[in-house]
Amino acid sequence: MEFAFDEADAAFRRDLVDFLDRELADGWERSEFGLGSAVHTDFSRKFVRTLAGRGWLTPHWPERYGGGGQGAWQHFVLGEEMWKRGEPRGPQYMNVNWVGPSLIKYGTEEQKRTLLPPIARGEVFWCQGFSEPEAGTDLAALRTRAVRDGDGYLLNGQKIWTSYADGADHCFLLARTGTVADGRRGISVFLLPLDTPGVEVRPIDGFVGDHSFNEVFLKDVWVPRSRLLGEENKGWDIVRRTLAYERVGAPRYARAALVLDGLADWSRTRGLLHDPGVQEQFGEARALCEAARLLVYRVIDERAKDKEPSPRANQARAAMVQAERAVGDLALDVMGSEALAEGSRGDAQFRNSLGAGIAAGSYEVQLNLITRLILKLPKE
Amino acid sequence: MDFERSDTQRALLDALDTLLGRYAGTGRSREPAARGAYDHALESELRTAGFLDLFGDDGAGPLEATLAVERISAALGAVTPVPHLLVLPALGLPAHTGPVALAAPPAGEEPGPVRYGAEAGLILLAGADRCVAAPLDPGQAEPVPSAYGFPLARVAPVASGQGAELPPGTAATVRGWWRVGASAEALGMMRQAFDLTVRYAKDRTVFGRALGSFQALQHRLAELSVLLEGARWLVYEAAFLGAPAEASAVAAAHTTAALRRLTRETHQIMGAVGLTREHDLHLWTLRLQALRAELGGMRAHRRAASAARWGAAAA
Repeated sequence: MEFAFDEADAAFRRDLVDFLDRELADGWERSEFGLGSAVHTDFSRKFVRTLAGRGWLTPHWPERYGGGGQGAWQHFVLGEEMWKRGEPRGPQYMNVNWVGPSLIKYGTEEQKRTLLPPIARGEVFWCQGFSEPEAGTDLAALRTRAVRDGDGYLLNGQKIWTSYADGADHCFLLARTGTVADGRRGISVFLLPLDTPGVEVRPIDGFVGDHSFNEVFLKDVWVPRSRLLGEENKGWDIVRRTLAYERVGAPRYARAALVLDGLADWSRTRGLLHDPGVQEQFGEARALCEAARLLVYRVIDERAKDKEPSPRANQARAAMVQAERAVGDLALDVMGSEALAEGSRGDAQFRNSLGAGIAAGSYEVQLNLITRLILKLPKE
Repeated sequence: MDFERSDTQRALLDALDTLLGRYAGTGRSREPAARGAYDHALESELRTAGFLDLFGDDGAGPLEATLAVERISAALGAVTPVPHLLVLPALGLPAHTGPVALAAPPAGEEPGPVRYGAEAGLILLAGADRCVAAPLDPGQAEPVPSAYGFPLARVAPVASGQGAELPPGTAATVRGWWRVGASAEALGMMRQAFDLTVRYAKDRTVFGRALGSFQALQHRLAELSVLLEGARWLVYEAAFLGAPAEASAVAAAHTTAALRRLTRETHQIMGAVGLTREHDLHLWTLRLQALRAELGGMRAHRRAASAARWGAAAA
């Protein structure tokens, strides 16, 4: 056991911090709200190319696919520093965390050759077409159909809650190639260009930050067979793996911990930090953030050792949700009506925290998986 | 970063488990009358095998000592592992034979009941800045009857100026390692109570199905596992870092929060049988309540974490 970063990763963090201090000094307004907003995404488009130029967009990918061949820890250090600053990579974190790795693991040589380099260069955005109006937490109930049609498939159906679809180039899309009765055994993954005729994206007005959800309608959308990822009807295995990466891909505790530090500053200047009750709430929230950090680190340790994704990712995700909620609640408890002002630190954290237990598999699904895979309790 | 036990750690803990198999465990903890409340034989075996020297050992260190405290406590070893394995060596004090008491009473006040107080010959008192190591006269101690597993006693006046005042800053060292140590003790006991409860939830049938198949209970156990795992790694990390103020307070805050929750959930799920002396659950859950009181408990740990990080007025 060792709880320190090795020298190479520590040096990488120092270089990265210096770089970000310089690069973000101009034109980047850090905001807990901004992720997915138009202005944020515009900044990201330029920023990720600079990052790519330094080899810091996909440092953990193999070199032959445009990566730097670095380890899982370096990739994670990158994620931590980015989230601490409000994620200036914008929606790119999805590409580099799990879309790319899924392509590397399951893609054909042609898919890798055509789809990976633009990600590594920071030229494209991807979104994730999983949830449907009647298949969210119960993802395997999805009904979007993909029927063979000549040398490809015809897609019909609807996706919903699709973050970034309004600006994305491609969608990592799940569709049913088998029957509904096949459940998770009849699902396939398609790598759909969003400019394909028949695709319509409509934003949904949400109130969790500036980030917008979208509906994606698919009407007789033809996609060539070369855009099927992995085997037909074997998409669920890819999804399981993808979700394992996604669950801890975004180090949300790093942002929550940073917001907590900011709230402590705010409280100190107003003399609130002398209140023992306030101190206790801060101590509790800090402990939840730190516990989440270590549970995520444990998953990264498994990844760094090339182990298969494990249900420990579910514990880590649940801990992150608890941390985000604790900081969100503290913000409203401590800041009083100041937290209601639009864009205030408290407002941003609270609204963000409402979505924490919903995205990337609901909190209750994490608990179900812990129950089944770690505690091994019997099913109903 | 490495979350796996090293070969050395594995070998060390295996050897410790073998020793504890003979000198600790539920059976032995149920018959203390034969040996007296404090298990001098266990302490002697631990000393002979070198487990009391892990802290400063070249091949081991404070983390290994902390892992050992967790194991000793899980096996209900009737000794005072926190002062022996962590606090005395961290202060650079010589080893002590027999129980050692730890206390941090408010200025001018006597400590409350302490574990093994009636037999302890030494107490470490953490003040605001300095720590005092004071001899105790067991003959002067006043036993306090208690259901909570550990023999408790009010110790004879120790605030009367006797004892050696240690250098400035030693109180922080005591608090840090005490927090890490008491948390490690709690981890060991919580894990036993938790595993017992999960097994029971699998075996016990109610309404024609396994108790543990009810989602109302499953989610509570799953959340508990998240708390326990979080606490575990916080304690190990704090030990690895040398028990600095913030990390040790954070670890203790999270561990005591888990402890509260664990006590309620395990007893609720186990039902009436868990409230009997015959069943083992109470061997851990009652002792856990004694840990809950140390260094001011959860609220004080949280305030200490806050103070260490943000410089809030000290608790």
